[in-house]
Amino acid sequence: MSAALRTRSRGARPAIEQTAAMSRRAVMALVRQPSLVVPSLVFPLFFAALGTSSFGRAISIPGFPEVDSFLDFALAGSIVQGILFGSIVSATALATDIETGFFDRLLAAPTSRVSIVLGRLAGAMAYGAAQTVVFVLVLLPFGLTIRGGVIALIAMMAGGLLTALAVAAVMSTMALRTGSSEAVQGSFPLLFVILFFSSAFFPRQTMDGAYRWIATLNPISYLVEGFRSLTIDSVSALAVAQTVLIPAALAIGGVRLALRSLQRRVAAV
Amino acid sequence: MTSPILASGLVRTFGSGDDEVRAVDGVDLEVHAGEVFGFLGPNGAGKSTTVRMLTTLLRPTGGSARVAGFDVVTEADSVRRNIGVALQDAAIDPLMTGEELLRLQAVLYGLPRSEHTSRANELLERVGLSSAGSRRVGTYSGGMRRRLDLALSLIHEPSVLFLDEPTTGLDPMSRMALWDEIRRLNREGTTVLLTTQYLEEADQLADRVAIIDNGRIVREGAPEQLKAGVGSPTLFVRVATDQEASASDVLARFGELRPTAEGMLGVGLNGGAGEVSAVVRALDERGIAVDHLELSAPSLDDVFAEATGHRLEGAESPAGA
Amino acid sequence: MTATLPSPRSGGLAAANGLALRSLRNIRRLPSAFIPALLMPVVQVISFSGTYAGVTDIPGFPTDRSINWYLPLAVTMGASFAGLGTGFAMIRDLESGFYDRLRMAPTSRRALLLGPFLAAWTRAMIAVVLVSLIGLALGARPVGNPATPLLMFVAALGMATVGTGWGLGLAYRFRDMRAAAIMQLTLFLGLFLTDAQTPIEIIDGWLEPVATWNPLTRILHLARQGFVEGFDPRDTIIGVVVMVVLGIGSVAFALTGLARLDD
Repeated sequence: MSAALRTRSRGARPAIEQTAAMSRRAVMALVRQPSLVVPSLVFPLFFAALGTSSFGRAISIPGFPEVDSFLDFALAGSIVQGILFGSIVSATALATDIETGFFDRLLAAPTSRVSIVLGRLAGAMAYGAAQTVVFVLVLLPFGLTIRGGVIALIAMMAGGLLTALAVAAVMSTMALRTGSSEAVQGSFPLLFVILFFSSAFFPRQTMDGAYRWIATLNPISYLVEGFRSLTIDSVSALAVAQTVLIPAALAIGGVRLALRSLQRRVAAV
Repeated sequence: MTSPILASGLVRTFGSGDDEVRAVDGVDLEVHAGEVFGFLGPNGAGKSTTVRMLTTLLRPTGGSARVAGFDVVTEADSVRRNIGVALQDAAIDPLMTGEELLRLQAVLYGLPRSEHTSRANELLERVGLSSAGSRRVGTYSGGMRRRLDLALSLIHEPSVLFLDEPTTGLDPMSRMALWDEIRRLNREGTTVLLTTQYLEEADQLADRVAIIDNGRIVREGAPEQLKAGVGSPTLFVRVATDQEASASDVLARFGELRPTAEGMLGVGLNGGAGEVSAVVRALDERGIAVDHLELSAPSLDDVFAEATGHRLEGAESPAGA
Repeated sequence: MTATLPSPRSGGLAAANGLALRSLRNIRRLPSAFIPALLMPVVQVISFSGTYAGVTDIPGFPTDRSINWYLPLAVTMGASFAGLGTGFAMIRDLESGFYDRLRMAPTSRRALLLGPFLAAWTRAMIAVVLVSLIGLALGARPVGNPATPLLMFVAALGMATVGTGWGLGLAYRFRDMRAAAIMQLTLFLGLFLTDAQTPIEIIDGWLEPVATWNPLTRILHLARQGFVEGFDPRDTIIGVVVMVVLGIGSVAFALTGLARLDD
């Protein structure tokens, strides 16, 4: 009954169990430190409220999609904005683990390497899905309507979860490459720019020239427009595909990048 | 002329209600013109708080103090113009060069513009930093920073100099160099108040010392006088742990037991150094094996131990680390 | 021996200059502390005027160029954050202990404060000029009396003053990075709870009364005249009065904060 006998270092089951344990740690870290998550919940809601009051009359301008209120239009941008900013929290936590040496301790244990990173990503996914639900629930009493109903909401949760995975994976890549929480947080303005050069806050059809061209190239535009279509139109296959498949494709690329960076970091130890 | 530093009943509390902490609890202090005064005490004893009040950084809760003849509260500006201060925790901006800092200091102290360059160069030379003057302070070693700090405090030729732990963390060579500089300044007529945790530093430099503990001054006087007051030398003995009790009984016959570091016993030998052999014999008779034996002449640490009941942290190795 | 020292009052301006010089030198030596404050209004003016290009189609929108509406916002915001930058620098000096050195100098307390303000005005003007040039390149066109756009720079100086006083006052009171979070958040909210995005006449709902009574709205109106509706004596007078009152208030907030450091 020695401890060594009970240690299983190979096989899928321990890796899954370890990933689950690491995920729990990641989620608990978010629950226990509300100051980390509050900004990524409050700011998108603040801008949704601000926009609804400021741009209420904009829904009738040429090029604006058919909506009941600006709030319905704004929801999609708020969700993606919240998830983008929230993913910084997970990646910063990973970078902090590297800075404090906790990461090395995990490497020294017979823990599956992959579970260390996947655990963080799973935490981000759970938070992304939760953010989607929170935004919808908070905005419902203020007149939000989801035309697509429950099916749309489920698709949006899946989209939120996958978007969080994609962004957190890319940010974790940065954390693994630099090992610096400051570098990860320093990317905040970059996320801001990516978001603003998309149709997250206003319809692409109302933009002009080069700006419209960039927003049309920006994949975030299509992601947001998928969420938006589920909110303001009835459920369509195209909208669901946009909401789920775009972040899924980004997530596959992001996770591959993150795992490759993990390999490099482990090899360098 | 009045004493350059004169404090009476100085009190400083932090917090309020049940959380109130009396960091300085009625300190009377008089430093005479032209002397080096050592201010001793462990971390948290109230040293720094007292210095911060004397240097106008902190308003006293009670009592009063005059520095260079001016009241530290009502005539703060005049105090500031007459004192130089090198504070342990008053960092130097690492982005500035030594020369820039000296020039800024010259501006802040209102020196005529025409003198800025000459004064900065003169001070850099004085502390041996002429070649490093145009480098950013971030590249300086610990010893260089302390020397620059000293130079900064001298920009206006102050008559009273406050040095807060000037050599903490310095290597022995840098420490000696700084001691020489302090002696030279004192010879030139500057009154110096020096806080330190290093008893040897106080012994080497100070004409008089004050020991502060728990916000109160517990001893004050010339080092020799204070050491003579403790009288007998201390014998330190280490024995096996299970024999400590009986060894204490034996030692108590030769004088008063004194506080020591963990695992040691200490006794002030009433009969002087000549009694060491008698102590060893007595321990032997009781079958106590002695692991270590050390006789130490009265030191400021003994004074400190006798006054406060505990020894000064870090006092064992003033030139170490 | 100290007879060579002139009276402490006479050196005040020189001391303030010396402190400002130190701060400005750090633009080059610690660019990471200045560049975000410079880039933020640049990004803001580009992204707002681009994203919200369609707002000019809203019936009653007072200009047909979105950049004309958002340039004055970015300028005032950039100027106020340049002011906050001196608050951040103050937190660094307080935490490192460097500020004790300054407080021990026989310099008048007003000179100790004037230094950061001089630095903030300079930093703000660097940001404001850059943002204005970018705005012009993106198609911003002044309207009416050619002197009116200068009011935008007046408003920027005012907001730099408010940001500096607010930032320094909070830095002196909290003495750690909590102050940085509070100063950023409050100023950010304060500037967005105005007619930042669309004119008050177009705002519907809760924001309308908030923006109407928010004094920062009046400073924005002062800044916008040269780009939106042309010179308006009433907006100018109200804007200047609000700016002066807020400026004096924030300087007083900083001054009382500085005095609190002795406690």
